[in-house]
Amino acid sequence: MVGNRGFWRDLRYLRRTPLALMGLFGILCLVVVALFAPWIAPFPQDARGATHIENKFLPPSTTHLFGTDELGRDIFSRVVFGTRISLSVGAFAIGLSLLIGVPLGVIAGYVGGWLDEVIMRVTDTFLSFPPLLLAMAISVTLGPNLVNAMIAIAIAWWPWYTRILRGEAISVRERAFVEAARAMGASRLRILVKHVFPNCLAPLVVQASMDLGSIILTSAALSYLGLGAQAPTPEWGLMISSSRSFFLTHWWVVTFPGLAIFASVLSFNLLGDGLREFLDPRVRRRIKR
Amino acid sequence: MSRAFLLALFGIVAFGLWGLGAQPNVAVYVYNSEVMIFWDPSDTYSNEIIAMNNMYEQLIRYDPLTDSFQPVLAESYEKSADGLTWTFYLRKGVKFHTGNELTAEAVKFSIERTIERGMGASYIWAPVEEIEVVDRYTVRFHLKYPAPLDLIASGAYAAFVFDPEYSDHEWFAAGNDSGTGPYTVEAWKPGDYLILKKFDDYWRGWEGKHFDKVIFKVVPEPSTRRLMLEAGTADYTNMLPITEIEALKDNPEVEIVTTPSFQNLLALFNTQKPPLDNVLVRRALAYTIPYQDIIEGVRFGYARQSRGVVPYGLWGYSDRVKQYTYSLEAARFYLAQAGYPEGGFKLLLTHVAGDEDERRVAELWKSTLAELGIELEIRGMPWEAQVELGQAPDPTKRQDIFLFYWWPDYPHPHSFLREMFGTRDEILFNFTYYSNPVFDELIARAEELAGIDRTEAINLYVEAQNILMEEAPGVAIYDLKYARAKRTSLKGYVDNPAYPHVVFWYECWREE
Repeated sequence: MVGNRGFWRDLRYLRRTPLALMGLFGILCLVVVALFAPWIAPFPQDARGATHIENKFLPPSTTHLFGTDELGRDIFSRVVFGTRISLSVGAFAIGLSLLIGVPLGVIAGYVGGWLDEVIMRVTDTFLSFPPLLLAMAISVTLGPNLVNAMIAIAIAWWPWYTRILRGEAISVRERAFVEAARAMGASRLRILVKHVFPNCLAPLVVQASMDLGSIILTSAALSYLGLGAQAPTPEWGLMISSSRSFFLTHWWVVTFPGLAIFASVLSFNLLGDGLREFLDPRVRRRIKR
Repeated sequence: MSRAFLLALFGIVAFGLWGLGAQPNVAVYVYNSEVMIFWDPSDTYSNEIIAMNNMYEQLIRYDPLTDSFQPVLAESYEKSADGLTWTFYLRKGVKFHTGNELTAEAVKFSIERTIERGMGASYIWAPVEEIEVVDRYTVRFHLKYPAPLDLIASGAYAAFVFDPEYSDHEWFAAGNDSGTGPYTVEAWKPGDYLILKKFDDYWRGWEGKHFDKVIFKVVPEPSTRRLMLEAGTADYTNMLPITEIEALKDNPEVEIVTTPSFQNLLALFNTQKPPLDNVLVRRALAYTIPYQDIIEGVRFGYARQSRGVVPYGLWGYSDRVKQYTYSLEAARFYLAQAGYPEGGFKLLLTHVAGDEDERRVAELWKSTLAELGIELEIRGMPWEAQVELGQAPDPTKRQDIFLFYWWPDYPHPHSFLREMFGTRDEILFNFTYYSNPVFDELIARAEELAGIDRTEAINLYVEAQNILMEEAPGVAIYDLKYARAKRTSLKGYVDNPAYPHVVFWYECWREE
């Protein structure tokens, strides 16, 4: 049995895989940058939309670490503030899709029957669309802004969690400790919350940490297409989109926001991969403790 | 891999695709999109005018920069004192590509067919009551009300004369023409190219230097068009993004031609929604636009600050119209008078999503507004959605500032004033929601006078524009300058903003 405490203990073993550790370290860096953005960014007002046309297209230097864009804004400051946006979009969108997906999945898996059928058919309908396309469609319908983009992403993502949770719940439901709880007269809700849900957590954490990367990428894609954050928000995807026509003559305008997206997606994927290895008993056995 | 190598590679590919370009006496115009949208000269309303103005001709041609007319099919014309009767004396011996001769009957037939089909820009003929054939070479237009028929007859659209015997819509649509112009169709491949060859019996003759053939080649990718121009496989291209223009600037074999356009960017203020229902706040806002920064930073100099709302080069533009400057002091003064010394309000600006210039204008403006404590929310929307919000039933639900481009269908200042600022029962483009009977009266009288007394009409348009500047229901920010690129060896090219993107190839030649 992989209990609640067992899960946290497992996390400690992460340090034995350097790649996952790198991922974790990258994420920690992102969080620190996001938290202390106003102190890290040398020109915080540039992230809020101040322009200095006289400084346009300055190449990277000690004053402007990443150079300046076509309106003379410090790209470094904007990338730093962009971390806040990307992380909060990721957290919000994941949170919302978990909020929708998890209860539905646990209920479908544990209760079964016609309820399972209904929930899963709806889920299948959502799953039949590629997530980015679905998010684009929803975002267009709701109107393009950052909050709607987050909602759109969440709507496109929740079915994956329902699927995973349902599978887990089905396997957990027949286990002895659930049987025991049932025999002791625990209510359905209590069993769901106290026994079924915590034991489904492991694959969920893996999936969510992997997805955070994809969600950051998707939100950047939406903003790039004009369906997410609106100017002058320092969203990474939007920054790339805004400056893309100057890429050939001024390489830095696109490169640094692109690297930021790359680094954050990579970090979440590395961590997710590491977590998966540790939480999968078959893989874990092969790693020396 | 060096830049030169890439360039050579692209050049080879472009050359392989279009080897003809290097031939003497063959001109190549690389265009960013499909050329022939309409083949019917009555219906024309789109890109095809760049080819059609070489295949067909109008009675006269207009030069907006000098406000004068050149005779083309008509050798001369006169109008009655009341501006209601216009008589055109046709050139004799002009041949259609079909071999038939141009007559007054053909002119009457062409224009009447255009009016009857009611397509494209045919509405420009609305003032015409009757077309009378006086004799074989004289045609007279009787108007319902005074109107500048010379401007209408010289229109880039809907004013072509063609052979009545060859005027079947299906025949046109199959890729045929029956004009009098210097060139006629040789070959056409939709989405790829259109080849025109010279018409031997053209009335101006083929003495001197001229191109024998003109090729219109469709190449949507701007960098490919730039490379073709650099490689010499193209003579002319239009619509290059500023970044490509900048890359060509230092190449001696290529020339950048800038020209005023009749297209301007306007910010329309919602005069029915607080705080912009207050004229003082609107005036303050007009002072907060960083005009010069926008022209340099957004348009890289390819624009000039608007004066009034009629663009530079179009009659009705005048130095007597007030021009706002960027002045935060003035803005503070008016804001304080209006009761907002610290700003403290929020405005919603909408623009077309994907228009990078509009977005950058909005971003620069947001930055200056922030200094006055005014928060600008920038919302890029699809055009339909932007319009829908602008037409919302409740004026307070609409945007505060509507940013968009305007250009006229034929060279007349009227549409700039009436569509956006005139009193309208139904909102079409009046996103200022402005209504001023004095202003309406002025522009109505100016429109009538335009066909009789142009000078007086201009005076009234000046007066009307000064009312707009005073009341500030909106501001024109800049008049676009078009930047085109051509080979330095291409001579004789003169840009005429009344015929957007048109090259009159008969007047051009290549210096070898």
